[in-house]
Amino acid sequence: MRGKSEKIWSDVDWTIVLIYLILVSLGVSNIYSAVYNPENPGLFNLQTEHGKQIMWIGVSMFLGLIIMFLDGSLIRQASFWIYGVIILMLVVVLFMPAINGAHSWFAIGSFGIQPSELGKLGVALALSAHLANSPPAKTRMSPSISLSYLTHLFRVNWKTLVILGIPAILVLLQPDAGTFIIFTSFILVLYREGHAGNALLFLVIAIIIAVITLIVADTTFMLPFLKIKMGGKVGIVIALLIMALIFLLLIRYVVLKRNRPPLYRALIGSLIVAILFVNFIEWGYSTFLDDHQKTRIDLVLGKIEDPDGEGYNINRAKAAIGSGGFSGKGYQQATLANAHQKHVPMQSTDFIFCTWSEERGFIGSFFLVLLYTILLIKIVSVAERQRSTYTRIYAYCVAGIFFYHFMINVGMAIGLAPVIGIPLPLFSYGGSQVLAFSLLLFILIKLDSERKIVLQ
Amino acid sequence: MKNIDNRKYIIALIFTLIPLIFIVRLFYMQVVDDKWKERAAQISENKVITYPARGIVYDRNNTKLIANEVYYDIEVIPNQTENPDSVTLAGLLGISLEEYTEQMNKARHHSKIKSSVIVKQMPPDEFAMIAPDMYKFPGFYEVERTLRVYPKPIAPHVLGYMSEVDSGDIKRDSWYRSGDMIGKSGIEKSYEKVLRGKKGVKYYLQDAVGRETGRYEGGEYDTLAEQGDNIYISLDAELQEYGERLMHNKRGSIVAIEPSSGEILAMISSPSYDPNLLVGRRLGQNFGKLQQDTLIPLYNRAAQAKYLPGSTFKLLMALIAMQERVIDSTATFACDKSLVGCHNHPTARGVSDGVKMSCNPYFYQVTRRIIQQGKHKSHFKDAAVGLDIWADYLYSFGLHKGLKTDLPAVESGFIPNTDFYNNHFPSESNPYGEFRWAFSTIYSNAIGQGEVLLTSLELANVAAIMANRGWFYYPHFIREIEGGTVPDVYKTRQHTKVDPEKFSPVIDGMWRVVHEPGGTARRARVDSLDICGKTGTAENFKIYNGKRYQLKDHSIFIAFAPRDNPKIAISVYIENSGFGGTWAAPIASLMIEKYINGDVKDKRKEDRILEADLMPIEIMNYKKNR
Ligand SMILES: [Zn+2]
Repeated sequence: MRGKSEKIWSDVDWTIVLIYLILVSLGVSNIYSAVYNPENPGLFNLQTEHGKQIMWIGVSMFLGLIIMFLDGSLIRQASFWIYGVIILMLVVVLFMPAINGAHSWFAIGSFGIQPSELGKLGVALALSAHLANSPPAKTRMSPSISLSYLTHLFRVNWKTLVILGIPAILVLLQPDAGTFIIFTSFILVLYREGHAGNALLFLVIAIIIAVITLIVADTTFMLPFLKIKMGGKVGIVIALLIMALIFLLLIRYVVLKRNRPPLYRALIGSLIVAILFVNFIEWGYSTFLDDHQKTRIDLVLGKIEDPDGEGYNINRAKAAIGSGGFSGKGYQQATLANAHQKHVPMQSTDFIFCTWSEERGFIGSFFLVLLYTILLIKIVSVAERQRSTYTRIYAYCVAGIFFYHFMINVGMAIGLAPVIGIPLPLFSYGGSQVLAFSLLLFILIKLDSERKIVLQ
Repeated sequence: MKNIDNRKYIIALIFTLIPLIFIVRLFYMQVVDDKWKERAAQISENKVITYPARGIVYDRNNTKLIANEVYYDIEVIPNQTENPDSVTLAGLLGISLEEYTEQMNKARHHSKIKSSVIVKQMPPDEFAMIAPDMYKFPGFYEVERTLRVYPKPIAPHVLGYMSEVDSGDIKRDSWYRSGDMIGKSGIEKSYEKVLRGKKGVKYYLQDAVGRETGRYEGGEYDTLAEQGDNIYISLDAELQEYGERLMHNKRGSIVAIEPSSGEILAMISSPSYDPNLLVGRRLGQNFGKLQQDTLIPLYNRAAQAKYLPGSTFKLLMALIAMQERVIDSTATFACDKSLVGCHNHPTARGVSDGVKMSCNPYFYQVTRRIIQQGKHKSHFKDAAVGLDIWADYLYSFGLHKGLKTDLPAVESGFIPNTDFYNNHFPSESNPYGEFRWAFSTIYSNAIGQGEVLLTSLELANVAAIMANRGWFYYPHFIREIEGGTVPDVYKTRQHTKVDPEKFSPVIDGMWRVVHEPGGTARRARVDSLDICGKTGTAENFKIYNGKRYQLKDHSIFIAFAPRDNPKIAISVYIENSGFGGTWAAPIASLMIEKYINGDVKDKRKEDRILEADLMPIEIMNYKKNR
């Protein structure tokens, strides 16, 4: 038995464990500061948010311990079963009474659990199992905009789409748009595994072009030196043409002559698509969106400010973070992001980053961002050292989910992303998310600790 | 497959690029850009200004002239109200339902979480009535404010009034915020910075609905309001009050100065008004009425009206001529009525006689010698040089150039010089021109009837200069500032260009004006007070529809007393009332007697003045027609 126990712990990645422990304990102390009530000061009081958080962390760590004693193959084999159970929960929860207008909670007394949080775990497991078992992408067709290529893509990927699609649609029915968006994080995995082609890159480029289009579309500006006044859209098109010209010259002088023709074709095709896309975005923005939606987009893009109306949340959040200064106001000294003042809404859940940044200043916010970055890079490196395809895919799923939550939550608080109500992993108040992210990490740690003995 | 393995680097790149963007953004927000710190303060802190009580103004005998009275503003924080019954509340606050609704809408529009005033300046007795019921209306509460009160209804032109700051005031001095009060005239304006005190500030933390949740940093940055400094002004409240009684039903002004200090003892402009009419809510009701009053009571005749000095001006002619050595004190000139009109009297032998008899031809001759000194062959050039010499002397008496009095709106009189006749008179478009005029053109000035104009304050200052034999302090009100010092300008003697010994014959004449038979101001005599004075009578007319109407003369008197160690110098100007000796002289003597003796013996003289209604007829008609 001694040998077995040694084996369990010998290859555990303690860096991830350490980061986990730092995150949850900072999270608790931060929630304690945010909701601190001098009349009810107990740390382990289950009526308080920090008390509940500690309880959930305890439950998570206990489950984590159990996972460590399981056999990794058991988890792999149970993937679809777990997925199935969670899908069932997602169906049942739709028939639960609505809380805040959404059917997302199983409530037991003052405790509640959101199956949508566990949904990510289910998808991660099922997707890993599916992709690990499917044969590696064979003769891949070179990407082109043709019907045959699209049908080929669908034929190869339809099971993946189903695994992702069922929970995504169920979550959307609650409705919980925030979690729905998180399901797009699995594109990262598909990209890494070669199933999404360069779709990820195209997506990123498309988003950048779309954002720039929306920001400058209805502005005019003077062209420097030439004194020509032009609309923002014309400016983008000209910028695209100039970029195309640069690429053309690059191809002309760098690429071998025989390889040039397809690149020329791709370049001209991309240029036409990009210009059409710009026009499409602008047309869609002005045609399909009503004023309310336009206002929301303009708020997100920073084109307008509306501190007491639409932009209330984000204005308060930014003021809280910005007022933290370099070294912060001090522990329990937040004047905006605390439960007492209530200037920042949802400051213990979606906007927990505000309390942290207000009290700890730039030093604190820098540290927290750094911590998540180290965790993400660490998970990528863990993924890449696996001989097991299942574990590698699973690790990328975890990385993607963590990254999405981190990017959207922090980006929202500092005004770089739209206001989408999702928690900061392991840091925000919320039992379900602590449980879900803990399980995601513990399973990863367990699978990783078997990296030397598992080849599959 | 190799190709696909490289994708891990792209993923790692994305995983570092996004956090890097976040860190740059966070650094900008938290360290570089102060905008969010200001926003945070606006959101989470409530800066409550506490207003200091204003400094008290006392007279020279420590009588309160301006004091403070507590009033209550009723304010509301819309978010904290609990659907109050509008009818009951409006009734309680003593306003109409419409006004209540309007004020509440305004308040909600202004801010839901910050307070707005619903009822302004509720007197303490009214507030005492509603105070017990206020608790029934959460969100409504009272704020103590102080307003000015004038214990004696006197000297409005001197003390001034206060009103809410306008945008100009706020622009000039950022100390003020909309709704603050500021001195708009008089002493209140001149000593605004002394009287206003220091505002206090309390920083509260507030929650999202505007409720106070504690003190910011434990009150570390809070400051207490400090009351403004009290000031003591030179006015003698009793004398001022007496003068205002004497001036009842008369139009004109009295200015009395303590010659040895330049302190103004009384400054009366009639018609006047009760300064309490322009306090707080009453300002709005009364200011317009006072402004439209045809008697223009808001106008400070004592410091702003420019008058012909009449014969009082002769004193200065005599002094200048002696100083210029164009005559000596024994100079004798026949009363040649062909030069300028005069009354019948014995020939004036010497300056003293000339002053006593106020002989017009005598001063024609005296002034001609100042202006036409014969230094230049050309008669005209001679006059041009002489007039500027003459004007320079008069400037040294504080005329024309400004007396630097500590009132905000003080006018200066007018002393014509060569430039004036060359380029501006009789009209800008058709002036006399250079070397086109001589003394014979402008001789009326010699007897105070030409183009010269003096204010009552300047006239009183001339009286003070006579009393001091040649020097003066700029006339002023300030005596003492608690915690401050009187400006040096009021402690510096100003010397005229006339030597002290030249004053003796003139003062001798002034004494004889009052005391000797044949003097023009026998009515001013008070036993044992040795009053020295000089009457003046200024012709005046008004033009209606292009026609010139002769109006009743202005009655003028300047005096000081006693002859030795004078305690008071005074000017009295009664518009359209007659000879100087008839009205202005006795009024001056009553003022002098009241000030020096504390009481007036000759009650018949006093009653004659108190009962006299000297309001000009044309004005009387206006009054009736109103
Ligand atoms: Zn005569």
